[in-house]
Amino acid sequence: MRTIEFNCPIIDHESINGQTVVLTLEAPAIAQIAYPGQFVNLTSNQFLRRPIGIMNADPARGSIQLGIRIAGEGTRFLAKRKKGDILSLLGPLGRGFNLEGARRVITVGGGTGVFPLYFVQKVCQARDLEGIAVCGYRSLGDSFLTDQYKALTCQTLFASEEGDDMDFSGHAVAALDDLLAKLPLVPETRILTCGPEKMMASVAALADEYGISCQVSLEERMACGIGVCLVCACKIKRGDEQGAEYQRCCTEGPVFNAEVVEWQI
Amino acid sequence: MADLTVCVGNIPFANPVIAASGTFGFGREMRNFQNLGRIGGICSKGLTLLPRDGNPAPRVAETASGMLNSVGLQNPGFTSFLANELPFMIDLGCRIIVNIAGNDPEEYLEMCRRLDATSVDAIELNLSCPNVKEGCMLIGSNPEMIEKLVAAARQVTKKPLWAKLTPNVTSIADMARAAESGGADAVVLINTLLGIAIDRKLRRPILRNNIGGLSGPAIKPIALRMVAETYRAVSIPIVGVGGIMSGNDVLEFMIAGATAVEVGTANLIKPTACQDIIDEIRAIMELDGVSEVGQYTGTLELWNG
Repeated sequence: MRTIEFNCPIIDHESINGQTVVLTLEAPAIAQIAYPGQFVNLTSNQFLRRPIGIMNADPARGSIQLGIRIAGEGTRFLAKRKKGDILSLLGPLGRGFNLEGARRVITVGGGTGVFPLYFVQKVCQARDLEGIAVCGYRSLGDSFLTDQYKALTCQTLFASEEGDDMDFSGHAVAALDDLLAKLPLVPETRILTCGPEKMMASVAALADEYGISCQVSLEERMACGIGVCLVCACKIKRGDEQGAEYQRCCTEGPVFNAEVVEWQI
Repeated sequence: MADLTVCVGNIPFANPVIAASGTFGFGREMRNFQNLGRIGGICSKGLTLLPRDGNPAPRVAETASGMLNSVGLQNPGFTSFLANELPFMIDLGCRIIVNIAGNDPEEYLEMCRRLDATSVDAIELNLSCPNVKEGCMLIGSNPEMIEKLVAAARQVTKKPLWAKLTPNVTSIADMARAAESGGADAVVLINTLLGIAIDRKLRRPILRNNIGGLSGPAIKPIALRMVAETYRAVSIPIVGVGGIMSGNDVLEFMIAGATAVEVGTANLIKPTACQDIIDEIRAIMELDGVSEVGQYTGTLELWNG
């Protein structure tokens, strides 16, 4: 029997700005098997658990990191937890990104989407894959994790919608477009994206234009996170026939190949 | 040693805790968390004759001490269930109850006929799904239709028939009486209560289906009241459902008149909920000095005057 519920102490709490924190939790069993794109479902002071993408897993240290942005009461409670507090986690859950056969991995994150994609670039570094990280923020003041990304071997491209002092002035999608136009294409390139649905749909369209395979990490209101309640329905095109069906964001996803996603925007 | 066995009609259960339909799938995911042979039974996800896509997302909204859902009976269809899920469920080692929801009476009967030849322990007639437009809750809100449907089902199967009732009626006891008159072996109550959650900024319901079914601890007092009322109205066993999160909750339902219970939303918060609740019941029985769990059933003494 595979037990995947754990009570995990917080071993580090880093406040990035008033709205965003990175929690480091002692979770050796999760750290051992988690891979990029997976998530944990954790208890807060609210009724339902909160699904949070895994930002980093360190099997040697037996810890994982979670980037949390305050969006409501539950995430506010989580962001206010202190070192030593214990959280109940279910995980690692879901199907994450597939890096099989990739030579170059371009990640495109928007807002909190840059958290789980950090894990992707960290794995790329460990596997000696060429990595390019495009991270989109509203503004410089709203940016986070830039130093951590810079410390990796991947090339970084930070975009600010407000056009202040970052690498690219504009939206992450425009930054990607600019990058792809200049970049000599190599075979086995993958674009992996996580962020607002509108952004991911644009990234997927751009990837399609350039003939690059693309994976997207979808988000849907969730309850159990383990595949029994069927509330986190994502509309996914059927493989064999016309039409689409609802698949579970928590189980068949959250990561899907972009071409099977029926965008809801 | 505490004796947790109960009988619902003539089927014995190892304990009174059954996983409620729609919160446990077909058991595949949950066996990663607990030994399913230890729980009293599992009630399958609600099945329709033909596969159903379900409703568009969002299908869930969190509420105070509960949640609204509008899944809309997404399921692979009855034929696929018989071929791909039922054999797996039968091997789990606990009682298996199959929850069926028809678009019309004939669909219920067709599924009852085909279940008669299987080794399921009971059939739960879902007369209460709030998230589909046809059948179901429409039948379940009308005592004549309930009685007629249960009586017709009685003709086509020897399996125990449980009628799962909706609380979205004026008198659930009347619905339970109708099910009893039709020949039901037990009544299961309550299903979810209709509700709406609103996004103030968008001035829209959060659920894409606009309305959904409320579940969780928020509905427990209503469910307890309905079980207590129904206990005085029928003589068939009652399976109590509604916001059960602990062993103590189970015993409250039994005191109100339930013979067994179904645990639903708790499974979504804590995948080991059923197993933990069974352990809690055992511990409470030791404290109470009660040797057989059935001794709690129907012991509620109302205040007089």
